Amino acid sequence: MGKLNFIGRMSTILCLSAGITVGGHIAANAEDIVIWGGFPELQGYYERVAESMKSTHPDLNVIVEPIGLRDHEKRVALALSSGLDETTVFELIGSTANRYIVNDLLPSAPANVAGFVNNAANFEPFFQEVAAVDGKVYGVPIFRGQGALFYNTDMFAAAGLDGPPKTMAEYTEYAKKLTQRDASGNPTVSGWSLRLSGGGGGIAEKFWINLHQFGGSLLEKAGDGYKASYANDAGLAALRQYVEAVSGDKTVTVEMPADAAAFQREQTAMFIRESWVIGDTAKKAPNLNYKTALLPRGSIALPVNLYVAGGSEKAQKAAWEFAIEANKPEHLIWMLDNVGWLPNRSGVDYSSVTTAKPQFSAFVDLPDDYVFFTLPSIEPINEILTRFAAKLTEAYADSSLVGNDAAMMAVLEESAAETNKILDRAGILGK
Amino acid sequence: MVSSALFAAPNSNLEGKDKVSRKKRFWFAIIAILPTFAIFGWVRMFPIAETLRLSLFEWNLLSRNKPFVGLENFRELFQDDQFLDAIINTAAIAFGAMAVTIPVSMVLAAVIYHRTRSRFAGFYETAVFIPHVVSLVPAAMAWKWVFDAKLGPLNRLIVAFGGEAQPWLFDPVLSVICIILLVSWQTLGYGVLIYLVGFRNLPKSVYEAARLDGANGVQSFFFMSVPLLKPITLYVSVVTLISGFNVYAQAFILASDTQGAPGRLVRVLVLDMLENSFQNFRVGYAAAEAVILLVIVLVLTGVQFGLLRQRGRK
Repeated sequence: MGKLNFIGRMSTILCLSAGITVGGHIAANAEDIVIWGGFPELQGYYERVAESMKSTHPDLNVIVEPIGLRDHEKRVALALSSGLDETTVFELIGSTANRYIVNDLLPSAPANVAGFVNNAANFEPFFQEVAAVDGKVYGVPIFRGQGALFYNTDMFAAAGLDGPPKTMAEYTEYAKKLTQRDASGNPTVSGWSLRLSGGGGGIAEKFWINLHQFGGSLLEKAGDGYKASYANDAGLAALRQYVEAVSGDKTVTVEMPADAAAFQREQTAMFIRESWVIGDTAKKAPNLNYKTALLPRGSIALPVNLYVAGGSEKAQKAAWEFAIEANKPEHLIWMLDNVGWLPNRSGVDYSSVTTAKPQFSAFVDLPDDYVFFTLPSIEPINEILTRFAAKLTEAYADSSLVGNDAAMMAVLEESAAETNKILDRAGILGK
Repeated sequence: MVSSALFAAPNSNLEGKDKVSRKKRFWFAIIAILPTFAIFGWVRMFPIAETLRLSLFEWNLLSRNKPFVGLENFRELFQDDQFLDAIINTAAIAFGAMAVTIPVSMVLAAVIYHRTRSRFAGFYETAVFIPHVVSLVPAAMAWKWVFDAKLGPLNRLIVAFGGEAQPWLFDPVLSVICIILLVSWQTLGYGVLIYLVGFRNLPKSVYEAARLDGANGVQSFFFMSVPLLKPITLYVSVVTLISGFNVYAQAFILASDTQGAPGRLVRVLVLDMLENSFQNFRVGYAAAEAVILLVIVLVLTGVQFGLLRQRGRK
C-alpha cells in the first residue's frame, strides 16, 4: 500500500510538473515577445511602445533585453543559427541582417508590413532598399546612425573661434588652437578627440568617416564585387591627419579620455559622433554649452531595422505589429527627444524637438549636396574593418610616420592588400 | 585425496559465488558510473571531437554548405599576423601569471601558515582568497581605473614618488603586464589555499630534525618546504598555466568601452576565436585556433608533469 501510495504521489507530481511545463511553454509562445536590441539607451523607448499596445493586446507580454552592440551581434548570430523558441524582434543594421536573410534565417515580412514599408509616404527609397533583399521586405526601418561635429562653444570662444571648422584643413588648425596644455606642453584637453584605440571595427569606421571628407572610401564597387580603395591620396591625407594630430602637433594622445564621455566632462573641445550624444548629454551634462555642425562633405548613415523570427504564428503577428507600433509618430518624437537617435520615418513633424534642441539641426537640416555612405552588405565587412583597425592602431601610435608619406602609404598598401585578400576569399573581389 | 575432495567442493563453491558476486559488483559499478560517463562524454568529449572535425571545414555558422578544406585553416593561421600576435600575447600572459603566482602564493602561504597562532590568520586567508571569488567584470573595471593613465591611483603614486606617469593600458608591453597582474591577482588566492593545504601536510619531524641541525627558517623554506611541495607546485602551475592560456575577459574589459578612453586591445587567443566565430563568421578557422590552443595546453601540461617527475626521482 505504502509503495502504491508513493508511486501514486510521484505520478501526480510528475503529471502536474509536465502540465505546468507544457502549459507554461504554450503560454510563453502565444503571448511573449522578446525585444533584442544593441542599444541599451533604447530600453525606455521599447517599454513605452509595449505599454501603448496594452489596450489592443492585453495578453501580450513584451520583454525588452538590450545589451551592447558587439555582444548583441554575437547573440543574434548564435540564436538565429541554433534556432529560437520565443518570438523575437531584432534590432539589426541593414548590412548585418543581409547575411541572415540570404541564409534563410530571417523570414520576410507579411504583406501588410511590406505595404507599410513600401509606402513612399512612410519611408524614403534609401531606407526601403536597406529593409529589403531582392525586392522582398524583411525588416521595418526604425532609426539611423548619422555623424556630425559636436563642439564646445565655450572652448571655441576662449580660443577666438566663432564657428565650426568647414574643411579638413580647418579641423587640424582648429584642433591646434583648441588644445589646452600644462606647463610642460603636454595636452590636458584635446583639441579634437579621435578614435585611436579599443576593440572592434569602430576605429576603421571612424577613419572611414574622415576619409569620406577627403573624397575617399574604404571600399569601392568594382564590377560585381568590391575592392579596397584607400591606398591613394585621400587615404594618405586621412592617415596623415591622424598621425600628425597624435605624434606631430600632439593635439590629442592615445591615452587621453575620448569620445562622448570626454566631451561631456570638457576634456575635449570637439569630436564627430552620432545624434544619440544629444540625448546622452542632456542627461549627463545638462549645463554643457555646445553646438553641432555638418561635416565638410557628408556623413555615414547606418540604418537600423526591426526583424522578427521564431515562435508561433500568433506571436510573430504581434511582433510585426510591435514593429509598426514602434513607428508611430508619438513614439518616434519621444525617441528623438529623449534618446537622440534619428527616426527614419518620413512625414513626421519633429520640429517640436529640433526647435527646442537646435543641436539636431546638423542631423536633419541637410544641404542637397551632402553625401551619405553606408557599410556595404557583404559578409566579410566586419573582418575587413577589424583587421584594418588593428593596422590603424599601430600606425596612429607610430611617431616615426610623422612627415613620412612613403611609410604611411606603405601601411595603407599593406592593409589594402589584406582587405583584397579577404574579399577574394569571400569570392567578391572586384576586378 | 578424500580430504582434499572434501575440502575442494565447498571451496570451489565459494569461489564460484565470489565470482558471481564480483561480476555483479562490476556491472553495478559500470551501470552506476555510466550516467556520469555519458554526461562527461556529451558535454566534454563531444564538443572537443566536434571542434576537431570543424577545424577541417570552412563554415560561416549560417550556411548549410560546409566544404571540407583539409588543413587549409591551419596553413592560413600560421600566416595570420593577428593569430601570431594572439599566440605571443597569450603565452606571455600565461607564463607571466605562472611566474608571479607560484613564488608569491608559496611565500604568502608560508607566512600565513607560520602565523596561524595570530588571531588575524583567518582574516589573512580570506583577504588573499577574496579576489578568486570576486566577479571578474567589476574586478577588471576596478583595475581599469587603477591603471588609467590620467585618473588612476597607480600613476598618481608613481608621480608622487618622483616617477613618470605611464600609459599602462596603451603601451604594447605595459598593457600585457597589466593583464598579467590582473590574472595573477585573481589566481593568487587559489594558489595560497592549495599551498596552505600542502604546508599543513608536511611532516613536522623533518623540520624539527633540521632545526636541531641548525637550519634557520629561510633555509628550511628553501631546502625543505620547496622540494617537499613539488606535487603542489605541479598542480598550481598546471592550473595557472591553463587558466592563463584561456584568458579572455580581462583583455576584453581592459580594452573595450564605447565611451571614454578605451585601452589598447591585447589580442589573446580566446578573444581572437570569438571574433572569428561570431563576428567574422569563420567557425572552421576559429575551431582550428581552438585545436592549436588544446595542443599547446596538452603539450605544456605534459612537459610540466615530466619535468617535476624527473626532478622528484633525482
